[in-house]
Amino acid sequence: MGKPMTMEKSISTERLHDARASWRKGAFFRKKVLPWLFVTPILLINITVVLGPALSAGYYSLTDWSGIGAANFIGLDNFRRILLEDSSYKSAFLNNLIWLGLFLTVPIAMALVGASVISPIRRGALFFRLALFVPYVLPSVIVANLWRTLLDPDRGIMGWLTDQGLPGTDIALLGRQNTVLPTIAFIDNWHWWGFLMVLFLAGMQNISRDLYEAARLDGANRWEEFRDVTIPGIRPVLVFMVLMTAIWSFLTFDYIWILTQGGPAGASEVLSVLVYKNAFQAFQAGYASAIGLTMSFFVGIIISIFIVLRRRGWEI
Amino acid sequence: MMRASNTKSKGTRELSLIPNYVILSLFLLFAIGPLLVLLFNSLKNRAELGNNPLGIPTSITWDNYPRAWDVGNFSTTTLNSAILVAGTVAAVLLLGGMAAYSLAKLDLPGGNGLMLYLLVASSLPIHLFLVPLFFFWRQLGLVNNLFGLILIYIAVNAPLAIFLLRSYMVQLPRDFEDAARVDGASEWQVFTKVVVPLSWPGFLTVGLVVSLAVWNEFLLATVFLTDQSKFTVVTSYYNFTTQFSRDWTLTSAAAVMMIAPILVIFLIFQRQFIEGMTQGGMKG
Amino acid sequence: MTIRKRLHLIILLAMALLVAIGPTGAVTQAQDKEQVSMWFNSTGGAEGANCIIEQAIDTFNEQSDGVEVTATLQANSWDATRTALAGGGGPDIVTTPGPSFAFELAQSGQLMALDDFAAEYGWTENFTPWALQLGVVDDQLYSIPSEVETLVLYYNKTLFEEHGWEAPQTLDELMALAEEIDAAGIIPFAHSNAEWRPTNEWFVGEFLNHLAGPEKVYQALTGELEWTDPEFVSAIELLTEMQQNGWFMGGLDRYYTTQTATTFAMLAEGEAAMKIEGTWAVPDLNTYFGDEGGNANEWDWVPVPSADGDPIFDLGIGTTYGINKNAQNPEAAAEFLSYYFSPEVQATLAVECGVVPAPVEIEPDALEGLDPRYAEIIAAMNEASEAGDYGYTTWTFWPPRSDVYIYDEIERVWAGDITAEEYLQGLQSLFDEEVEAGDIPPIPER
Repeated sequence: MGKPMTMEKSISTERLHDARASWRKGAFFRKKVLPWLFVTPILLINITVVLGPALSAGYYSLTDWSGIGAANFIGLDNFRRILLEDSSYKSAFLNNLIWLGLFLTVPIAMALVGASVISPIRRGALFFRLALFVPYVLPSVIVANLWRTLLDPDRGIMGWLTDQGLPGTDIALLGRQNTVLPTIAFIDNWHWWGFLMVLFLAGMQNISRDLYEAARLDGANRWEEFRDVTIPGIRPVLVFMVLMTAIWSFLTFDYIWILTQGGPAGASEVLSVLVYKNAFQAFQAGYASAIGLTMSFFVGIIISIFIVLRRRGWEI
Repeated sequence: MMRASNTKSKGTRELSLIPNYVILSLFLLFAIGPLLVLLFNSLKNRAELGNNPLGIPTSITWDNYPRAWDVGNFSTTTLNSAILVAGTVAAVLLLGGMAAYSLAKLDLPGGNGLMLYLLVASSLPIHLFLVPLFFFWRQLGLVNNLFGLILIYIAVNAPLAIFLLRSYMVQLPRDFEDAARVDGASEWQVFTKVVVPLSWPGFLTVGLVVSLAVWNEFLLATVFLTDQSKFTVVTSYYNFTTQFSRDWTLTSAAAVMMIAPILVIFLIFQRQFIEGMTQGGMKG
Repeated sequence: MTIRKRLHLIILLAMALLVAIGPTGAVTQAQDKEQVSMWFNSTGGAEGANCIIEQAIDTFNEQSDGVEVTATLQANSWDATRTALAGGGGPDIVTTPGPSFAFELAQSGQLMALDDFAAEYGWTENFTPWALQLGVVDDQLYSIPSEVETLVLYYNKTLFEEHGWEAPQTLDELMALAEEIDAAGIIPFAHSNAEWRPTNEWFVGEFLNHLAGPEKVYQALTGELEWTDPEFVSAIELLTEMQQNGWFMGGLDRYYTTQTATTFAMLAEGEAAMKIEGTWAVPDLNTYFGDEGGNANEWDWVPVPSADGDPIFDLGIGTTYGINKNAQNPEAAAEFLSYYFSPEVQATLAVECGVVPAPVEIEPDALEGLDPRYAEIIAAMNEASEAGDYGYTTWTFWPPRSDVYIYDEIERVWAGDITAEEYLQGLQSLFDEEVEAGDIPPIPER
């Protein structure tokens, strides 16, 4: 044991010496301390508001807490219930996956089309940019209620289509088990895609014109231009939004809760709805915390994928 | 900057853009059509709304607006919402901007760990930590206090703001900063005098996104502000929509009034917003 | 460049604002009166809430020397209350959406026992016994009931007269009539749960009580009978048959999506014929029928049909009032509650604000100005409740998790995913769990 000790000592003395030297030059402060000083204020706020309370929620997931009063420790029983007893958990999780699939494709495709269609035009570009972004500023409560009226099978758009003689439109999209989830996703997306478009557009306008000129000289058509110049040009923002979309897909709540509360017959139930129902309606705050933790677990998986890609040298 | 001076080629160019305008018009109908319906509904009376929920009102009723204004106590709630938005945006831009600067430009030791933490923090379901947070806030005397809610909003909005600002700052070339450092500027001066001005479009976007998030937030506002004089616009909008009956003409009018201020702010900053986005890119 | 300066200015202003509104704590000026706070939710929205404040809160503050009540309308009242109580705070006067919620609060020690006040102010005599009984936990009174509700069958009288239809009394008559109405191309029931998903439970409760009878429901609630009893099964099957026939709003998808306003409009205009709903619907009916709704139609009501035609009123409590364990001035709070639940104030609230009265004895004269049909319902309901001929609404008498199950899972039965029997088996096992945990609200003896 003696030898390694001495070695360690000599190393640490050396390090100390280095540190002192760099301190003298101010490098230690500038390289190690100062960056953290810039981060500290917002980090402290975030830890106080989010991390601390979330950790105590982690404890509650191991209890039978009703949401008020005392909590009894019951070990992993809540997680056993999730895995073995709760059939609605599985269907809610599958709905989250469907939601994820819908949001990774439709809004991103729409925003890419919208942005690349606006990008080359001069006249009216400002107007379109503004107009297509406007739905994003509306609160979810208003959007949800607005679309509920619009989708009314008798008096809304569907009713109008029926009157025009279009077959198969005489249905309430939000009232059918097979259409309800895509319909809510459609409404959420109505409000969401304009925001994505503005972000993509900003990315596209950072792409140098020369690259397009070069592609054109190479005889690239519009699609090839889009594929080989536009997409790589906006890759940072694109990848970032894909990541955030994936995360948000596991947390989605507002629109589903306001429009159907998970119904009919559980067809639009997602994990966050289960958390809310258990915590605020059924007095099962401990169990709700456990479900909430599993949501964080899935999000963690997505983040891990992101980190692996980063490690492999993706600039994201 | 190069400008197209040849009118002839400009004309041909516009012609080839016709498909673009067709697609955009369809998008426009999709985005704006429902909003027109909302506006129409705010000008109908209840009976007409029941019979004609989509079309242009046959007779215009303005009554809904003053009624919604009074009943919703909009004069107080608008001020409250404005304070929440201003406080949160200011703090998020300043503190989040500092953090983003540190991550993008100062090679923050443990920066990846911090990013990971922020990602995790932004992914926790809010219902999970609502009750413990309330307990803590009560002990600090921050319940029923706009400042207390602003702190929560800062924390909740910080991760996205930091990510967005960082991704803008990463694109900036180091030459400018290095030049400033050589001239003897401190890091704080580099941040405020060089990096903030250069990443201004990012700040505007983040400011806009956070304003919207705060203006439209509902759950936290109801739980943490229980005093009527502290209600926000959304909370009072919710007062219209009750369990059993909904006066849709009134809620439409309230909705239009709620959208109006944020829309106006967006319109005011629109030009700078777009310019910032188009000129902000300084590819190295 | 200018824009940057402008934003700097804005940030500075906002910072100044932040400092100004910082954690100032409670800046309460010296008050002579004892302060009592209360949060409440109003089914009449903000307008209804202002009416309540004018008619009951302001009048109390004027006449009281020592107490001042501050009532706040809470949009999301129950979530806010729950969270606040868990954090050791909350208003002095705690309102909940029903006895099973108050029960949960009392059990976890968040409420103050009210027995002394009940004796002091004579609440035991003033309130209808079965209703007051619902606030008792472990032999102590913790909450007092407000808003006695019942459900009846409303129908478009004008439409019925045109077609020569008779208002049904038995369930068989109801089924036969619904078939006839459906054949005439009219929607039998203007029902929808789009804006209030627990609407489902109204019908489950009605059919359990009215097909199997309240006596059986009482036995099941007190554990003498299983929920899987054949008569309960047929009740659920009958309800499911009606749903699958498309009698509720013309189909399940319509039932899940039609807006409440539309259901009332269609009933009033004769596109639909009937509606089983609570007493809270009366103000809406009057909005959509007659001059105000732009038609010449009239509505009327009968008790919800039962198996043998005897009238049954399923009773429910829409709101409860209690006092926070941490209240600073419990005596002052009790003084206000006593005022608020006096027959005079309840009558004023009913007539002026459309509030459903509490289960206190109100002189019929005091209700003058109330819609006569509404007054009839109240009278009939009171009679039934005194005679013991009442049934049980799910949100008042079932424990919370069972209650959620009742309105959540019934949709799976209607969708054909599970059978009526499986549904009731699930209810039974959940109910057993809650009984074991002691979460059952007190069921008054019949």
